[in-house]
Amino acid sequence: MSEIDLSRIQDEIAEEVRRRRAAGDFPPGLEQELDAMFAKYAPAGTSDDFDDVLAAAEAQSFIHADVPTASQRRPLAYVKRVLRKTMAWYVRFVAQQVTAFAGTVTRAVALLGHRVEALERVTLVSRPPLVAPTVDASAVVVPALAGVPGRVLHAECGTGALVGALAAAGADAYGVEPVEAAAMEAAQAGLDVRADTAMAHLGKLAPAALGGVVLSGCVDWLAPGDVLALVDLAVRALAPGGVLAVTSVGPRAVSPVVADLSPGRPFHAETWRHVLSGHGLEIAQVAALSGVAPVLAPVPAGTPGADVLNANIDRLNAELFAGDAYAVVARKPR
Amino acid sequence: MVAVHQVLPVFAPRDAIGNHTAAVRRCLRSMGIGGEIIAGEVVPGAPDAAQTVRRARPSRLAAEEPVLWLYHASTGSPVAEWFAELPGPKAIDYHNITPADALEPWEPHVAVELRHGRRQLASLTGVARWALADSAYNEAELVALGYEWTAVVPILLDTAQLAAVEPDPTAVAELKARKASTGGADLLFVSRLLPHKRQDDLVKALAAYRLGFDPAARLTLVGGVGSARYADALGDFVADLGLQRAVTFAGSVPPAQLAAYFQLADVYVSASAHEGFGVPLLEAMAHDVPVVAYGSTAVPETVGDAGVLVASSSPEVLAAAVHRVVCDSALRDSLVARGRRRLQSLGLPVSTAALRAAVTSILDAAGLAAR
Repeated sequence: MSEIDLSRIQDEIAEEVRRRRAAGDFPPGLEQELDAMFAKYAPAGTSDDFDDVLAAAEAQSFIHADVPTASQRRPLAYVKRVLRKTMAWYVRFVAQQVTAFAGTVTRAVALLGHRVEALERVTLVSRPPLVAPTVDASAVVVPALAGVPGRVLHAECGTGALVGALAAAGADAYGVEPVEAAAMEAAQAGLDVRADTAMAHLGKLAPAALGGVVLSGCVDWLAPGDVLALVDLAVRALAPGGVLAVTSVGPRAVSPVVADLSPGRPFHAETWRHVLSGHGLEIAQVAALSGVAPVLAPVPAGTPGADVLNANIDRLNAELFAGDAYAVVARKPR
Repeated sequence: MVAVHQVLPVFAPRDAIGNHTAAVRRCLRSMGIGGEIIAGEVVPGAPDAAQTVRRARPSRLAAEEPVLWLYHASTGSPVAEWFAELPGPKAIDYHNITPADALEPWEPHVAVELRHGRRQLASLTGVARWALADSAYNEAELVALGYEWTAVVPILLDTAQLAAVEPDPTAVAELKARKASTGGADLLFVSRLLPHKRQDDLVKALAAYRLGFDPAARLTLVGGVGSARYADALGDFVADLGLQRAVTFAGSVPPAQLAAYFQLADVYVSASAHEGFGVPLLEAMAHDVPVVAYGSTAVPETVGDAGVLVASSSPEVLAAAVHRVVCDSALRDSLVARGRRRLQSLGLPVSTAALRAAVTSILDAAGLAAR
């Protein structure tokens, strides 16, 4: 009997999954839908959400004094009931003290949570309520991710334009996007896009679960520490031989509002080269991108002097915001 | 005469660590080394004679002959602290402690116990000079904690006997009748119902498999309830998916019935997120059932090249892997043949040789061998 190459079998299984997803045998978002169904029955606190865990702690801080007395042997159940009754004065006293202690601790943790929230507001760790300029990176990213060993994640993907381009090129691609309206729009277009943040989603993945990761959007405004944590998670999620691509509008393309209100700024391409190399990745490509969406909107046609104004606006867009958008592509060594 | 006394939190029947402890004692006796088994709790039906910590007299045992104390670490227990105070040289045998995070929302008190176990394992570095581990995965955890002398000794498992029990003919007939009436592939997984064993991922994989490949497929989950809340959630989930007739919660079953499930299974599938070793994977191989497994923790080390390992526990990926194994007869034959070879490589001759070598080294280093 000829020996079978298991790595080839694994590749063929991955290809089968890709084919079935593309054919619609596995509908977009199937895994997400199944996860959500099971999550309905999971106890509070299964997620990493602080409020969720705190609610679970509060629920469990009440200590029941009435211990169960059921038994398969009826005499034993009777004995248990008698013991429960005779011990009730003692058990209830202890249970009340433990409940009081647990309640106080839970309350202290809740207060601590409020303080952290206040601190987050001060330091603007939350997402700015703004849409940053976007860039079409498909010309560089799609070929760079061709043939990677596994699924490709685009985080955060907006309405899924790049996810669609990757899927059209044959990649088994999906995306995450924290803005629910954008995620829903993508899902309605038949793309596998889930409402989640890049950080939260990557944190849930098993090591080496993905063949490719594209990071964009959030990397341009997260605080540097968060960006580095995101890269840690992305590298962990990549299989050996997998590809990580980062696309950025570049430092000059940020509007004043984003620059003033965001906790972080877009890195320079050279910084990404340094960061990704520091995570053990091999830099494959650093490419300039064109096509940054204009930050300054043109005046409506028909406005007096519109031609002149719009020509100047185009020049300002080109001068101030375009020109340093880039993609950095790196590969995880096998 | 030297004695190696084994200490463990619970000594119970039909328990991998209990069976291993009894097998270690037999192996030690064959080396001319005696020793007691001392446990925090000795469950009736345990695989060998044992005494409880409460009744044990360690000072007397240590005074009678030179001793080495061997603690089986698998959870948090006051027995670990008792072990730390024992007179004389000490070693541990690490069977892994499940990370508490997976269990915390479901069984918070168990999670506390597991965290305590991890703390105890770290603190024992200053007490136990030697540390055995039943997989390289477990050994790596020991090294990370600072254990300086470590060795891998696989669980002492008589792999030649794993399929020795005759399948229950009544169960076989029922399972065959079910298969004949509805067709469809039979997927099997054996483990207690626990969140980190991820039976929910198997149910999701079954849903995807039925959707994409085989609408009549079934999944049998053998194993008692390890977490009542998780078991309830699984039951509700299965009902929500309308898969009550396709998913069987068999519970803890006698060996003959388990053999029947293995006999009728088309594929053994595991989505477990944490295994320190994974004995049921070997049981599947012993019953010539091909294995598909999510390659987490020590699973790749146990399965070797005798199963299809997938890098993701995504339902679609598991479903496609199961489909491939069910439909590709050449692959099935190859996996069965590799499984038999794998069992030989992890069988008693190999594991007992590893134990003998490790014990000899430890006794030499402790200055006990020549007495």
